[in-house]
Amino acid sequence: MSDYVQAPEQDVVISSRVRLSRNYDDLPFSPKLTREYAEEVIDRTADAVFNGKNGDAYTLFRMSDMEQDARARLVEHHLISYDLLKYVNRSAAMISSAGTITVMLNEEDHVRFQGMLPGLQLERSADMAIRLDDQVSAQYPFAFDSQLGYLTAYPANVGTGMRCSVVMHLPALASAGQIGTVMQAVAKLGLTIRGLYGDGSEARGHLYQVSNQATLGRSEEDVVHSLAAAVEQIVEHERTMRENAEKKDMLSLQDRLLRSWGELMYARIMPIDEFMRRYSDIRYAASMGYLHAPLPGLDVIMMDVQPGSLGVRAGKLIGEREAEILRAKTLREELGKLVMD
Amino acid sequence: MMCDECGIREAKFHLTTIKNDERSERRLCPVCMAKYQKQLPGLDFTDLAGIINNMLSNIRGSREEAQETEAWSELICEQCGTTYAEFRKSGMVGCANCYSAFREPLDSLLQRIHGNTQHTGRIPGAVRKGVSLRMNIDRLREQLNKAVAQEEYEQAAKLRDAIRTLTAQLNNADANGDIKVRPHQRLDSQFGEGGENHV
Repeated sequence: MSDYVQAPEQDVVISSRVRLSRNYDDLPFSPKLTREYAEEVIDRTADAVFNGKNGDAYTLFRMSDMEQDARARLVEHHLISYDLLKYVNRSAAMISSAGTITVMLNEEDHVRFQGMLPGLQLERSADMAIRLDDQVSAQYPFAFDSQLGYLTAYPANVGTGMRCSVVMHLPALASAGQIGTVMQAVAKLGLTIRGLYGDGSEARGHLYQVSNQATLGRSEEDVVHSLAAAVEQIVEHERTMRENAEKKDMLSLQDRLLRSWGELMYARIMPIDEFMRRYSDIRYAASMGYLHAPLPGLDVIMMDVQPGSLGVRAGKLIGEREAEILRAKTLREELGKLVMD
Repeated sequence: MMCDECGIREAKFHLTTIKNDERSERRLCPVCMAKYQKQLPGLDFTDLAGIINNMLSNIRGSREEAQETEAWSELICEQCGTTYAEFRKSGMVGCANCYSAFREPLDSLLQRIHGNTQHTGRIPGAVRKGVSLRMNIDRLREQLNKAVAQEEYEQAAKLRDAIRTLTAQLNNADANGDIKVRPHQRLDSQFGEGGENHV
């Protein structure tokens, strides 16, 4: 069997992520951050993180030292934010060997701690980020105000400075045209939902990201629990829709979904849009037990065949056509290995 | 006026749409407005700075507050030199002290964004003691004001003594270095040399 372990609610939830925004209290914030101060941010944080006792090994990546594809690969694997690349000249990231913890440096805020785990594991993700926050702030204090909480460059993030996001796979809700209803329901809870790649029912791969909005006036625990509770409800809703589709016409559903497996296993040229559609189908099929492929494995392969990651795999800059050919080849190999296990 | 869309947050935007000669007007909160602007490509304030700028304009739009906001345009952060105009344009503050320098406009803004202006989450270990003392003192001060207003002088005297004791504790803790908030000690009057080497 494969060594992939199924995470909680992984049939519907891809990953959980918690980010904490922090700024050193004695250094200027983003708009006034000179190169010298940006270096100070990196030095301090690296010192506190590398010399910590918590056992994780980290690697420091300076964005200006990296090739474009290598940076894109980190974004595609959600190890860094897209926004970090807006500040390539000064930004850096420290990434744990397991890839579950990232410290982003000199993005909109001096430091953003990120904890990320597969499936619905918000609480554990938050714990990881908070532990590292404690470790760094014990040495170098972060800007904090007794009324406003942690101070951030954008007032929209003050308070906890915490943004929690859950990436969900909602093919059955999307094909039933119910995403709009879900959007309205979560908005009433102070949460937002948007397509991970593209918006609305057109979201690529039927991947959606649910996150909290406000950061001031509610405790971290409260936000984590209410987001998790909302996600649980969407999970139940999606499962019901999947069961209904199966009850209605199982053979047609299997036929439609599993044809995508055939396309992915035998295609020689695979454009990204088509891939995301097919990936959604086979993930759906695997979650229903029509296909014996571990879900975490499918998700890793999905990220590995995104444009930047393929460029890294090729080891050189490649054009769109070359990428489509390499994507098809990679899929044949990797998907083949996944089901052979 | 509540938001026409969600009905739970206060409406801050007035959205008029004309579709096939049919005019519809809606009052929306920032959250629902943000949702709408994604659907309406013509509406261009997709960035946070734009939204914040718009909210601040909204605040300024109100007649009664016109004089106050006039005074806001004079605000400047002594620590980092950020002006109110700069803050409005970028939507970002320049340093921790900006939150004091722009307190008044920020309070309105934060209320609009978060529906709240009081942090209730984690407190860093190093300041935990000081913050809880300060919060206690703030609470007692409110009670004291109430007692004075209601002419309960005996109660007011007790509260005053309690405040004195707590304030002394706070100052002691500060002096002992128990509270490790360093008030911008690395910096001189201003950060860096200015614009040239910004990255």
